Amino acid sequence: MTPDRPKEASARIALDGLCLTLEARPVLRDLDLDLRFRRLGVVGRNGSGKSTLARVIAGLVAPTTGTVRLNGHDLYNDRRAALGEVGILFQNPDHQIIFPTVLEEVAFGLGQLGSSKRKAEAGARETLARFDKAGWAEAPISALSQGQKHLVCLMAVAAMAPRTLILDEPFAGLDIPTRAQLRRYLALFPGAVIHISHAPEDLDDCDTMLWLDKGRIAMVGAGAEVNDAYLDEMARQGARDDISDLPG
Amino acid sequence: MERSLAHIALFAAVIAVLGFLPKLSLGFGVPVTAQSLGVMLAGTVLGARRGTLAVLLFLLITALGLPLLAGGRGGLGVFVGPTAGFLAGWVAAAFCIGFIVERWRSQKLALVAGVASVIGGIVVMYAFGIIGMALVLDKTLLEATALVVAFIPGDIAKAVIAGLVTAALYRARPSSLLSRQANAVL
Amino acid sequence: MISLTSPVKTRAHDLPAGLKLALLVVATGGLARADGLAFHTGAALFSVSLYALPGRVFFTAGLKRLSILWPFAAVVLAWHLVTRDVEAGLVITLRMLSAVGLANLVTMTTRLSDIMAVVRWLGTPLARLGLNMAALEIGIGLVIRMVPVLGEKARHLTESWRARSPRRARWRVVLPLAVLALEDADRVSEALRARGGLTRPDKD
Repeated sequence: MTPDRPKEASARIALDGLCLTLEARPVLRDLDLDLRFRRLGVVGRNGSGKSTLARVIAGLVAPTTGTVRLNGHDLYNDRRAALGEVGILFQNPDHQIIFPTVLEEVAFGLGQLGSSKRKAEAGARETLARFDKAGWAEAPISALSQGQKHLVCLMAVAAMAPRTLILDEPFAGLDIPTRAQLRRYLALFPGAVIHISHAPEDLDDCDTMLWLDKGRIAMVGAGAEVNDAYLDEMARQGARDDISDLPG
Repeated sequence: MERSLAHIALFAAVIAVLGFLPKLSLGFGVPVTAQSLGVMLAGTVLGARRGTLAVLLFLLITALGLPLLAGGRGGLGVFVGPTAGFLAGWVAAAFCIGFIVERWRSQKLALVAGVASVIGGIVVMYAFGIIGMALVLDKTLLEATALVVAFIPGDIAKAVIAGLVTAALYRARPSSLLSRQANAVL
Repeated sequence: MISLTSPVKTRAHDLPAGLKLALLVVATGGLARADGLAFHTGAALFSVSLYALPGRVFFTAGLKRLSILWPFAAVVLAWHLVTRDVEAGLVITLRMLSAVGLANLVTMTTRLSDIMAVVRWLGTPLARLGLNMAALEIGIGLVIRMVPVLGEKARHLTESWRARSPRRARWRVVLPLAVLALEDADRVSEALRARGGLTRPDKD
């Protein structure tokens, strides 16, 4: 998709003793991991720490103790490397889109990578054309549907051509046709993907899967294997009544 | 720094959105908008520096021609009109309120934020507003004061709300009250 | 969000924004200094005729925006009737009308992108004094982007209140709105950081 597409589409993630505490609540507890993947699915129940792990891997949040490396880089401290290394799509596009029009939004990241204003705009128009959305350039974000906003976020990240794309449940709350269409656009991304979701049907193309439970790794391994174990356990827990349990 | 900018911009947006809320009328028919409540909260929540910047950003965007003031007003005209002094007063008010909340920590937050809102959001803001009105309408300060005094009860109510909302915010999310963080004076 | 720029295209739209602003500053200064009733009558007629030039739609839209001044005009005129100094009252009213009218006129005939260019130009010397122009531009974009988003949330909160209470929500939505805005701010700052933050790599 991109002219400078990364030849090596796989990525390596290394967590070493990773702990994270937010407002005195442990969210991630002592994660150790070292694996190479092309598409990594991260599953777990609500509150298992999936989203937080995504933010830590992307270098947006610093671990309380321990280290995180993606392709050998510490992305929290090396933000310059981070821009080429990783892009992240959040659950709610309204939290991601910074500018009032599509072109400004897509051009922003290119400017951040060091392009002049004019070059960034040209690059943004190229990206829009690649997604067959050249006509969207001047459109105000406030006029777009939720699915269209998601696509703008994807294009804005794709324009920066990171080696790895992190998806933090970007399909939650979308209707079935919109999900299917977005997945097709997502397939245009050539790099490695880390996909966070509690819905395993989103992850059927993942070669590797990581299952988080209460901030700990419950299981990690080949996609299908982890998926089956996860579904069994979720069905079992669904029969219980732990919704009654208050935290702490 | 990203966090500061995001808070400044989001609070400028909050001030704008409070202007869209339906006006309420005090018993004697004086319209009161929630917009200056947003200015008070910018001070109590963001602190002096960031609160002032939020108000300045809001006013800049209004001047650029976006209808962010209550009633869909905006553009350059409001900065030469009779109420322009109040807009200048908002800047000083946010600074004053933030300054007080950052430094006065010996009392309950609701009280501190409420008193700060009275000092900044009423005393300071009306001082600027009255001077502006006296200039534009060519009146003495006393005469201009007579013209705006009917709005003061509404602003006292807003200062009380600002105090309560600030304290509730602090209980709900202590980390969101940047005026009370260790690095408040970044 | 729709800016106050008039959709009716006028010849003034094509004048440089910097020129219009400079003329406005000079005109406002002149209006503030002059005192004669004849001068201010002429100035007000001139301002109103500028509104009339682009046609009826523009004229009525412009006057509607000036109508917020009428309570002030009424108070001032009534005041000066009482003090038997009607001429001074007329001068004050006409001066206010011309000054606000001309300023609104610049807003109505200047596109957002054009006035932003002036801000950028004015900001250049300030940038040398430490003003972060990139941050300012992102901030302006962010506000314009987030006002409709937060407005929508305020509407939802009001509806959710009304669905469960016979009383009007009014200021009670302020607290949840502030909480939502602060949460949004945290997420947005992450999104900003995810794409390189406020320091451009080529400049540090």
